[in-house]
Amino acid sequence: MKILTTIKKVVDVELNIHVENGAIVEEGLQYVLNAWDENAVEASVQFKENNNAETTLVSIGGGEDNTKIIRRGFAMGIENGIQIDDPVLAEADSSVTAKVLQKVFEAGNYDLVISGKQAQDTDSGQTGIILAEYLGLPCVSNVIAIEVIDDQHIQVSRLGDAGTEIVELELPAVVTVSDSINEPRLPQMRGLMMAKKKKIDVMDLAALGTSHDEVGGATPTSEVVEFMKSKTRKAGQKYEGDAAEITAQVVDLLANEAKVL
Amino acid sequence: MAKVLVIADIKQGVLKGSTTELLSKAKAIGAETAVVAIGSNIESLIPDLVNAGSDTQYIADDSGLELFSAGPYASCVVDAAKQFGANLIWFGFSESGKAVAPRVAAQLDAACATEITDVMLEGDQVEVTRPAIANKVMQRVKVNTEQLVAVVRAGAFEATEGITGTENVVKLSPPAPDLKAVIKELLSDASGEIDLADADIVISVGRGAKDQAGVDLVRELANDLDAGFGSSRAMVDGGFMAHNKQVGQTGKIVAPSLYMAIGISGAIQHLAGMSGSQVILAVNKDTEAPIFNVADYGIVGDLFEVVPVLREEIKKIRG
Ligand SMILES: Cc1cc2nc3c(=O)[nH]c(=O)nc-3n(C[C@H](O)[C@H](O)[C@H](O)COP(=O)(O)OP(=O)(O)OC[C@H]3O[C@@H](n4cnc5c(N)ncnc54)[C@H](O)[C@@H]3O)c2cc1C
Ligand SMILES: Nc1ncnc2c1ncn2[C@@H]1O[C@H](COP(=O)(O)O)[C@@H](O)[C@H]1O
Repeated sequence: MKILTTIKKVVDVELNIHVENGAIVEEGLQYVLNAWDENAVEASVQFKENNNAETTLVSIGGGEDNTKIIRRGFAMGIENGIQIDDPVLAEADSSVTAKVLQKVFEAGNYDLVISGKQAQDTDSGQTGIILAEYLGLPCVSNVIAIEVIDDQHIQVSRLGDAGTEIVELELPAVVTVSDSINEPRLPQMRGLMMAKKKKIDVMDLAALGTSHDEVGGATPTSEVVEFMKSKTRKAGQKYEGDAAEITAQVVDLLANEAKVL
Repeated sequence: MAKVLVIADIKQGVLKGSTTELLSKAKAIGAETAVVAIGSNIESLIPDLVNAGSDTQYIADDSGLELFSAGPYASCVVDAAKQFGANLIWFGFSESGKAVAPRVAAQLDAACATEITDVMLEGDQVEVTRPAIANKVMQRVKVNTEQLVAVVRAGAFEATEGITGTENVVKLSPPAPDLKAVIKELLSDASGEIDLADADIVISVGRGAKDQAGVDLVRELANDLDAGFGSSRAMVDGGFMAHNKQVGQTGKIVAPSLYMAIGISGAIQHLAGMSGSQVILAVNKDTEAPIFNVADYGIVGDLFEVVPVLREEIKKIRG
């Protein structure tokens, strides 16, 4: 079985993020592997360990930070790495990203794509699902467990609105994973050393056999025109002291000041 | 004139309030409205769909649609969107909406935006706003396609008082089942508890409650108040709370009039799910806990002492 794992470099959400003149201030930002993609990598590596799957990751993006997240994937146990590095993709939306991933998939003859359910920078949750549509493949999103049935079938559990949905998927297929699916392993020192020596297969769109136009890059379906500060809540009043006293006081305020009780 | 197709949010046979909110917004921007309802044995909901503010009702009613399956559900939406000539296709916030919207967009070659908080129309130009980076920033997004498929963030739009529509039912033919993604079983977590999305008050419990006894203590408070009972991820991971009770970026987005965070630190991913609440009360023994940065009222104390007093005092007030 051949698995393709999609990974993205995202801004570290734990840091302060400032907006100026409609754009995010780059200074002081740091980039990390998208948390949900870490779950995707872990799920893929478990496939390698338990089912002898061959694992490949793909990341669209450039720069040192992108190399770092790919190496992290290697250090966690992924065997092969593809990087699509093309400056024209800097502003790619989900649909363009999915078209590029489609080309990668078609060049590799994979049985399963495992994506994070969401990227922490866009918080969009679309790319894997759109990729499946473009490929005409079955897809289940928000997956919390995967089991292999046989060479052609897997069974996945999905967190849905009414409960956990158990779905049998015919391969090839695409799944997007929730953070509830596993606890990603920390890369070991030895893994990190080996990961440094591994070759990354770096390609631009031409090398991938496509072009900016073909992936819809010139006509994105939507574009972010401006970033704005989000409304932040103001910290209210904190009450400290005798538990019974302050609690009674706050209940009174909830009822008579905020009028929500 | 804009044409808005709203996907009816039906849970356990009941039409949810988000449907009215979305249709209200559609009317407020002067759009023609339609709704598409998908499920099994849902014809009885037609009056509710009309009352929610729709002027056309597309009904996909088939026993094959009883259990959610993204492929067939997407086919129904695409069918209705084409028949109606919709240029705006809106889902309320739900796991099924998040799964179906990108499919519909891909099939229609349309833009897709999730978690939108507003829609701006100027002539033919459509723009939306939405949060990104765990709510740390907002984005204004310009739509370049004729159609926009969007998932609306919970609580973003308000229902208009006295809204109603007209009955004009169009039956959709049942979609083909997805033979490559077969739903085998639904492990229902319908617990009889109040749906977090509907609750006027939501009370969530965090790791500070430690164990089952702590969770049960907070649950009693929720029961007293007929409140929705939610949780941080820590208590879901710990096996104390069901997955569908998780509030936050990967769980439910809630915007009740009162949210109580009991023994929750206030990690950014939790805040992303509840910071739209009208009033927030936090109970935490750590005076530096980040939850206090967003709470209107903060009780610094041990929840095992505070919660019993909360129950008592609230009983006094409510009688
Ligand atoms: C990709 C990703 C997605 C995530 N999605 C979510 C999500 O959707 N929802 C979510 O909640 N989290 C989510 N998380 C996890 C999140 O980062 C936090 O780990 C989690 O919210 C912590 O839960 P907690 O506040 O209950 O626990 P902790 O952070 O351990 O906090 C416990 C709090 O209880 C207080 N406390 C302890 N004892 C007492 C006592 N006796 N009385 C009063 N207070 C007490 C402590 O002071 C502390 O502040 C996500 C994380 C990632 C990486
Ligand atoms: N530039 C990219 N390179 C590789 N994978 C990506 C990229 N952008 C998005 N993805 C994948 O798509 C998922 C969802 O992204 P999004 O739709 O932006 O929320 C991510 O978790 C990644 O697995």
